[in-house]
Amino acid sequence: MKRAGWYLLAGAVAGFAGVLGFHSGGAAAPALLGPPKPGGAAAAPVPSASPAGPARSTGPAASQGGAIGQARNATGAVVPYGYGELSVTVTVRGNQITAVSVPLLRTAEPYSQQLAQQVIPMLRSEVLAAHSAQIHGVSGATYTSQAYAQSIQSALDKLHIR
Amino acid sequence: MSYESVVAPRSRQGRKHPQALPGSRRPRPALARAGLVLAGAGLGAVTALAITAETGAELRAPGGAATFLGSLTGLVGMYLALLMVLLVSRIPAIERVLGQDGLLRWHRRLAPWPISLLIAHALFITVGYAQAARAGLGHQVAVLLTRYPDVLIATVGLGIMAAIGIVSLRAIRRRLRRETWWLIHLYMYLALALSFAHVLALGPSFVGHPLTQIVWSVAWAATAGLVLCYRFGLPVARSVRHRLVVHEVRPEGPGVVSVICSGRHLDKLPITGGQFFFWRFLTRSMWWQAHPYTLSALPQPPYLRLTVKAVGDHSAAVARLRPGTRVAVEGPYGAFTKYAKQRPQALLVAAGIGVTALRSLLEDMPLGAAPVVLLRGTRPEDLVLRKEVAELVRYRRGRLHELVGTREQAVLDERSLPRLVPDLHRRDIYVCGPEGFVTSIVDLAARLGIPAEAVHHEAYAL
Repeated sequence: MKRAGWYLLAGAVAGFAGVLGFHSGGAAAPALLGPPKPGGAAAAPVPSASPAGPARSTGPAASQGGAIGQARNATGAVVPYGYGELSVTVTVRGNQITAVSVPLLRTAEPYSQQLAQQVIPMLRSEVLAAHSAQIHGVSGATYTSQAYAQSIQSALDKLHIR
Repeated sequence: MSYESVVAPRSRQGRKHPQALPGSRRPRPALARAGLVLAGAGLGAVTALAITAETGAELRAPGGAATFLGSLTGLVGMYLALLMVLLVSRIPAIERVLGQDGLLRWHRRLAPWPISLLIAHALFITVGYAQAARAGLGHQVAVLLTRYPDVLIATVGLGIMAAIGIVSLRAIRRRLRRETWWLIHLYMYLALALSFAHVLALGPSFVGHPLTQIVWSVAWAATAGLVLCYRFGLPVARSVRHRLVVHEVRPEGPGVVSVICSGRHLDKLPITGGQFFFWRFLTRSMWWQAHPYTLSALPQPPYLRLTVKAVGDHSAAVARLRPGTRVAVEGPYGAFTKYAKQRPQALLVAAGIGVTALRSLLEDMPLGAAPVVLLRGTRPEDLVLRKEVAELVRYRRGRLHELVGTREQAVLDERSLPRLVPDLHRRDIYVCGPEGFVTSIVDLAARLGIPAEAVHHEAYAL
C-alpha cells in the first residue's frame, strides 16, 4: 500500500495530541489521569480521621507549651522505608494521643501507594489504642509499619511525651 | 456441463462478458487506510498516556527514570502486541486490500518489537523499583514476583513470549515442521491473556483511572472478538454451510493432482480469481492441519477445484484422498486478484505449480484483456494445466510463452523479458511460484524500472 507510513504517522500525531489535549483540558482530565499529584512520586495525603480535622504543624514542634489538657500537635521526621517515605502528625491532649494523620506519603510506584493507603488506617487505630508508638504493625507491610512507628516516635519526642 | 467446465476452461461456454462472480467482493483500500490511521492513533495515544502519567518530581526521584522507561516500554509493547494479533486476525476487509502474505510479512517484520519492548519493560521496572527501594536486584525480583498482584503470571506470560520469539528466529523455525511451529505459536494467545491483568492492577496510567481501564479492556476484548469471529467462527460457519466433499481426485502431471470438491451454495462464496483457501481434509490423519492451496479454477457450482503438487507430507496425502471425504475451509484469502491491477494490461508469470493461481486469475479477467502469459518449467510435463491456460489466453486475445528448460537455458533477464513483452511498461506484473522464482522476478521488475505497486506476487512457500 502506498504511503502507509504517512497514514500511520498522521494517526500517531492525532492520537498523541488527543490524549495530551484531554489530559490538560479542564474537567475531563481528572477522570482520566487522576488528581494532580503534589509533592512528587505518587504522593497523596492520606485522609485524616481526626475528629477535629487534619491538625498539621508547619514547624518541627508547633503549639508547644500549652496548658495540660490543651491539644498540641507535632509532625514527626520523614522516614524512608524502602518503597517510599512517610511522616506522621500526632495530636495529643495531655498524655493521650487523640489524632494521627499522615501529611506526607511518597512511594516509588502506584502499587505501594495503594498498599500504604490500605495499611495506614490500621496503623492509626493501633496507635490510638496503644497511646504510644509501641505497636505490633501490620503483617505484610513490615517496612511501612516500622517507618510509621518511627515517625510517630519522633513526633512524640518533640512533644516531650514518653 | 458444469462439471466439465470446472475441469476445463469455462471460456468454452463462450460468455462474451464474464461478470464478477456474484459473491466476489472488491477490495476497498480506504478501509485499510482507515485501519492504518487508527493503528497510528493508538500508538500515539499510549505514548502520550505513559508520558502524562509521570511528573517531573517522579522522574527525578531515585529509580524514576527507569520506572518511567519501564511503563513506557510496557504500554507500547502491549499495544504493538495487540496490533500483531490484529494483523493475523483475518479481517476480510483488510485481507482483501493487503493480501495475507502482505499481512504476514508485516507481522513477521514487526513481531520482534513487542517482544523486545516487553522484555525491556520487565528489566526497567525491576531496576527502577530496586533503586527506589534501595534494594538489591535479586531481592526486588522476589518482591515483585511474590508481593505484587498478577506479576507472577505476567512473568510466566513473558517467558512464553520470549520462548516463542526464539523459536520464530529464522534459523530455528526452518528446522521445525510447519505444524509444530504453528502449535507453539498458538501459545502466544495464552501469554497475552496472562499478561493482561497486571497492566490494570499496576500500570500508572490505569490505577485509579477507570476511563483508561475501560478503553484498554474494550480494545483487547474487541481484538479477541475479531480473532474468534474471523479465525474461528467464520470458517466454521462457511464449512458447515457449504458442506464441501471430495468429489474426484485426478492426476494432472508428475506429482500434481486436481481435487474437485462439490458443495452447496458455492455461488455465495465471495471468491475472486487468484485467491486461496486453507484446506482441512477431515480424515483421521489430516483433520488437525490446514494447508493453503490456491483454487485452480473459479467455482462452477456445485463444483470447486484445487490443484496440488506433492512437495510435503500433506500435499502427498492429498493425492490419496477418497471421494466422499469431508472438507473444511478457511478463506478465501489473498490480494493476488484482478483488482490489484494499476495499469491497462497485465503480464502473468508462473513457475511450476504457481500456474494454479494464474489459471483462476486469468479466468477472472475480461475477454478483451489481452494478457501476456509466461509459463516456466524445467521439463515440458512440468507445465501443468497448460492446455487450459492456452485456451483461456486465446479467448482473451492474449499471448502465451512457454519457457522450458533449466534456468541457464531459459533465461529471464533485463534483455530477454522486454524482448518477449515489448509493451512491458503498460502492464502490471503478476508473478506466482516458488519463493526463489518470485523474488528473482520481483527484483528483475525493479531493475527494469517497474514501480512496486504494479508488481503483484504470491509465493507458495507458506
